Amino acid sequence: MFRLIFQRLLALVPLLFIVSVLTFSFTSLLPSDPVDLILGDTGTDEQHEMLRERMGLNEPIYLRYLQWLGRAVQGDLGNSFFNSVSVMDAVMQRLPVTLSLTAISALIAIVVGISAGVVAALRPRSWVDRLATLGATFGQAIPNFWFGLILVAIFAVNLRWFPATGFTPITNAPWEWLRSSILPSIALGTASSAAIARQVRSAMVGVLQQDYIRAARAQGLSARRVLFKHALTNAMVPVVAVLSFQITVLLGGALIVEQVFAINGLGTLAIAAVRQQDIPMLQGLVLVMVGLVVIVQLATDIIYGLLNPKARPT
Amino acid sequence: MNSITRRLFVSLMAGAAMSLGMTTAHADPSGTFKYAEQVKLITMDPQQQSGSGVPYLRPVYESLFERDASGKPAPLLATGYEIDGLNVKISLREGVKFSNGEAFNAAVAADNINRGVKLGIIEGLKTVESAEANDEYTFTIKLKEKDPAIIDSLTHTGGMMLAPAAMADPTIDRNPIGTGPYVHSKQESREGEVQVYTPNPLYWDPDKIGLERYEVWEIPDDTARLNALKTGQIDAGNWLANPQSAIIDSSPDLKLIRNTGGLNYHVIISDRNGTQVPAFADVNVRQAMAHSINRAAFGKAILFGLSEDTYQPYPKGHWAHNPDVEGAYAYDVEKAKEYMAKSAFPDGFAFDMPSIPIYQSRLEALAGFFKEIGITMNIVPVEPGTLARRSRTTDFPATNLVWATNTDPKFLALRYIYEDAAYNPFHIKPGDELLTAANAGLESVDTDVRGPAYRQMAAKLAEEAFLIFVANSPILIGVTNATAANPTVVYRYGEDSINLRGLKAND
Repeated sequence: MFRLIFQRLLALVPLLFIVSVLTFSFTSLLPSDPVDLILGDTGTDEQHEMLRERMGLNEPIYLRYLQWLGRAVQGDLGNSFFNSVSVMDAVMQRLPVTLSLTAISALIAIVVGISAGVVAALRPRSWVDRLATLGATFGQAIPNFWFGLILVAIFAVNLRWFPATGFTPITNAPWEWLRSSILPSIALGTASSAAIARQVRSAMVGVLQQDYIRAARAQGLSARRVLFKHALTNAMVPVVAVLSFQITVLLGGALIVEQVFAINGLGTLAIAAVRQQDIPMLQGLVLVMVGLVVIVQLATDIIYGLLNPKARPT
Repeated sequence: MNSITRRLFVSLMAGAAMSLGMTTAHADPSGTFKYAEQVKLITMDPQQQSGSGVPYLRPVYESLFERDASGKPAPLLATGYEIDGLNVKISLREGVKFSNGEAFNAAVAADNINRGVKLGIIEGLKTVESAEANDEYTFTIKLKEKDPAIIDSLTHTGGMMLAPAAMADPTIDRNPIGTGPYVHSKQESREGEVQVYTPNPLYWDPDKIGLERYEVWEIPDDTARLNALKTGQIDAGNWLANPQSAIIDSSPDLKLIRNTGGLNYHVIISDRNGTQVPAFADVNVRQAMAHSINRAAFGKAILFGLSEDTYQPYPKGHWAHNPDVEGAYAYDVEKAKEYMAKSAFPDGFAFDMPSIPIYQSRLEALAGFFKEIGITMNIVPVEPGTLARRSRTTDFPATNLVWATNTDPKFLALRYIYEDAAYNPFHIKPGDELLTAANAGLESVDTDVRGPAYRQMAAKLAEEAFLIFVANSPILIGVTNATAANPTVVYRYGEDSINLRGLKAND
């Protein structure tokens, strides 16, 4: 297991390098210029040139990248182009927000998805199954930002049960944290719960027809034991793979949902950085997001190995 | 410039400021007021601030002057001024301290101006050569050229005063120190989310501190900001003319304030000598284009009924507004076709127009109008953020921009009219009449004297029709009904912010 973790962490190094080169290259190729944003409509050509020089934008791209890389390997991701805010501080301040949102969404997706999938699988082709399938189709079809807007309109603006915007850190007020997280998490987690429900149903229907399930039932094991100990455990093997993918999707989806709910997470930061062409900020964000995806995949491999001994690394 | 003396006395003008509607402030500040800003905070250094975001600065920084209810300069940190040729002597309020305890005096004020000049970002300070202190409480700004708008420039970011320690601080963009009624609370603020301000214990006019806490929330998403207003999470916020502001306007629980100032959307025929598009050299063509635009339909469909039709750079009520120009190019397709027939291009022509995403729908509407008279406008997308820069080049024969209507008219000439104007990339020499009017506007600081010159300029611009004005949308501030009923809420003239002096929380 430790070897697997070590291998994955080692593979992270070239991955981060390649991703950082691509991000740096692509953002530098964009025709817009951060200097325009700083100087506004009235800056003269001379001022543009002076500021470009001061920001190091006149240096060749490879030199700028190498300078950035030299600092980055020492843990210094630099400051934003536009102010004195450290990239590391900005990212770290927002990371818990996005992680919190993603974690609650994943929890909703898992609980709702597995429950719906299991219930549907236990009574295939029944009205319960059809209802669950319809719900899953609906859940996957609706865009999360639209669903978020609907939730806000009903539960925040009309009923006033939840705040319409913003996010309260759990350390400030746990109850308010929960209130501020519920709607965005539901908006974010619905599509994933639908995908998981479909996967669980499909896997469970297959597993429940296996000989060992019939044998377990013939041995007189309780229905609950057969379901949870024998059927669900085996059905979860393909589900874990889907879950890994869905958590990555949730991280990406959080970028959009954060906008709808005016949540100050990595997504809001990323969108502002893209609009402003704040290359240092973008680089920092991409590195963190890649790191998160790798960690999620690593966790998936570990869980996969625990569920399926055959998949454990030798 | 004539030697003009304007002495503004504190007592007199303070009375004028009070007439803005402020009520007597209580000694004990209480409550919170929450304002939402549509643009993200970039910097809290006013001298490096090139665009929107002033609501983040106003709690902390005071400017030398402020605009009164009619838009004229009134004293704030300065008590008066005298203009003699290229010298502007400014007297300062005594006994003012920055929130860090440093004294505010003439040397500091001069340092501030010199810093702004050196940074070169604030357009209003571009005519300033330097500044130097005369004594403890007076200093002189030396101009490079005549500038009747210099005092007005000092009502905004150009006149905001930073503490000496702040000017020396490389992290000033997040550590502002000014003389304002509130201080920035970095500990309570959350980067990218909310900036929190608390009372300044050293404020020179403590009775004007009415709040225990002032918050500026960063909510760029229009719908999220609207939802925050609907649910009372914020008391007020600013909007552009969009579906969300139209919803506010029609909601019984909310109110949309149309503040003075705003944006004038216009088309600029840059190539009016016809270097790239020969038809643009023909004034009949330009006048045909101006007549072909159905401004009422444009305002209703594109700006959600929140704009006014316009034929000149200034809205009604502005001192430079020319009533005679109103309706000069009223929508008349037949007339437009007549102009085209009279021109050397009766069969029409085609040209390229740069577009950024937020102007796409505007340009599609205009393209439809121009098509009616045989002109094909090809909309060419350019990277967001590059429109202004590309408009200063000869990449396109025409462009489209917005003009902040609270900007002094002298900048109109500086941007569009003079041969070396930034948005005159083909360096076309203006006609004598236009040049005379533009220059006459520089001969006085008195708007009563300047007004006729700029009205004449507006009439001449309408005649030449190389600037085709389409719509004026005012500064829009959405507020809750409680905020609308709050008598201490005073909207700053020409700004998307609320005057914090005397502001109290809603009941």
